[in-house]
Amino acid sequence: MTVLHSKFLTKVLCAAALGATAAIAGTALAQDAFLDQARASGQIGEQADGYVGAVKGASGDLKARIDQINIKRKAAYTQLAEKRGVSVNEVAAATACELFQNRVGPGQFYRTEGGQWVQRQGSAPVQLPSYCPK
Amino acid sequence: MGVTKVSDRETTMRPALKAAFTMTALLMAAGCVKLQAPDKPIEINMNLNIRHEVIVKLEKDVQDLIQSNPGVF
Repeated sequence: MTVLHSKFLTKVLCAAALGATAAIAGTALAQDAFLDQARASGQIGEQADGYVGAVKGASGDLKARIDQINIKRKAAYTQLAEKRGVSVNEVAAATACELFQNRVGPGQFYRTEGGQWVQRQGSAPVQLPSYCPK
Repeated sequence: MGVTKVSDRETTMRPALKAAFTMTALLMAAGCVKLQAPDKPIEINMNLNIRHEVIVKLEKDVQDLIQSNPGVF
């Protein structure tokens, strides 16, 4: 009786664990796709400060997603900054230089140091922040 | 009577004064009573504290950071 019971319990627990894993993976996938899609549709863009922002203002859900991404970015920046003994702003700026070069597709938006949203015209080069090398 | 009072005061005041002077000197040496305007201006623009050589040095690190965090970058 107790053996049967525990076997059943294990099964239930395993199913629950599998379900949870699938749910987490699903959320992660949705999140990965969200950033690319939102950048492509011009809803959000990369900023010179190393964070993302809403190009034309953000409603509740969009703002929440942007905040979620930026919180994760700040955590990643902070970790690397501590590891290298530099400021969080410096890591954020260095990342912005990379993102401006590699994550702003044709027609997508980016925000300059001056706070202006600029749309990349075709494959014209993105105007890099002043602190970027090159 | 009056003379003894004055000498009494002198003998008690002198060590007290000495101690006060010593304390002041020590505090000043330690910088505790320094009242000075900060030599650095208050930062408004984040660009002010970004060192160019650090940005160059971080290039590889941030490339890895971006690669290893899909969905965040």
